Amino acid sequence: MFVLIIGGGQVGGHVAELLLAHGCEVTIVERRDDVLARVRQDAPGARIIPGNGTDPALLEAAGAASADVLCAVTGADETNLTIATLGKFEFGVARVLARVNNPRNRWLFEADFGVDLAVNQAAVMARLVAEEIDDVS
Amino acid sequence: MKVIVVGCGKLGSALALELARRGHGVTVVDIAPDAFARLGAGFEGRTIHGVGFDRDVLEDAGIKRVDAIVAMTDSDDANALIGRIGRTRYRVPQVISRLHDARQAHLYRSLGVHPVSTITWGVDRICELLSFHQFEEVLTLGDGEVEIVRADAPTLLIGTAVGGLNVPGEIQVVAIERGSHAFIPLSGSTLHDRDILSIAVMSTSKPRLKTMLGRL
Repeated sequence: MFVLIIGGGQVGGHVAELLLAHGCEVTIVERRDDVLARVRQDAPGARIIPGNGTDPALLEAAGAASADVLCAVTGADETNLTIATLGKFEFGVARVLARVNNPRNRWLFEADFGVDLAVNQAAVMARLVAEEIDDVS
Repeated sequence: MKVIVVGCGKLGSALALELARRGHGVTVVDIAPDAFARLGAGFEGRTIHGVGFDRDVLEDAGIKRVDAIVAMTDSDDANALIGRIGRTRYRVPQVISRLHDARQAHLYRSLGVHPVSTITWGVDRICELLSFHQFEEVLTLGDGEVEIVRADAPTLLIGTAVGGLNVPGEIQVVAIERGSHAFIPLSGSTLHDRDILSIAVMSTSKPRLKTMLGRL
């Protein structure tokens, strides 16, 4: 299983670590120099590519066309949506996951923007908190 | 026409003011409330403070009823996204997204958004202006038999009729740019100083044209 992760921050780095432990082949694209150094340490088994994940040429070089899964997990929703759209419609990636940073933008994370699965951290956390409160009361 | 302009920077504000001046209904959206100061006190359109791809903001701006949306923020990703939202979610008749990094034009097209690269336009236009003083090939037709070239009106011929340059079957002045206007001349039209001529010429007659234009 080849997984291409765009965004090597705390979320992307952690996802990479987990997937590597599961035996996946992982490539990470990250734009920020300071973050690159950390993700190299955290995910030593991953192939790391510095650069802009919305650049189609860079995505191609990163192997988007042969990726089984694409994870767009940068800290900017407009970037994740752009990457998801490219990944699905330009490179035909079978499974596209995208991170929702601001729950207000959730309405865009749908099939017409190339998103198969929207990972909405705030919603997950809110649900857990609500369940916890239900349990307590 | 009703238009939403997202991004009230130098270009976005200038566009909004010009559209309002021409009598169009303009709504400007920007994430920074102080950006609207660029519009000045006399601006008659609406301003909405908010994120340009937020559903409530876009619907408040009337995206379901507008004729056009123009994305002019400083982020290519946001501009591409806003363009795609306008196109696919709301079927806005005209969608224009500003493109900063010309290398990303491919990305915009992949997203079904027409890119407008103001930098490329500026560069092309300046190159055009710079090349006014040369004999410039602008178009080659067929297998190169016919070319369209641009050149300054030759000083010696200013005040004379355009027809003096035409040679039937070989050389034909097809258009004249004068100031900011262009027109198709009659053979009796008079050449003015600083006219720029577009001339169709058989490639075999180019040396003759160059001689006529005083460029040997």
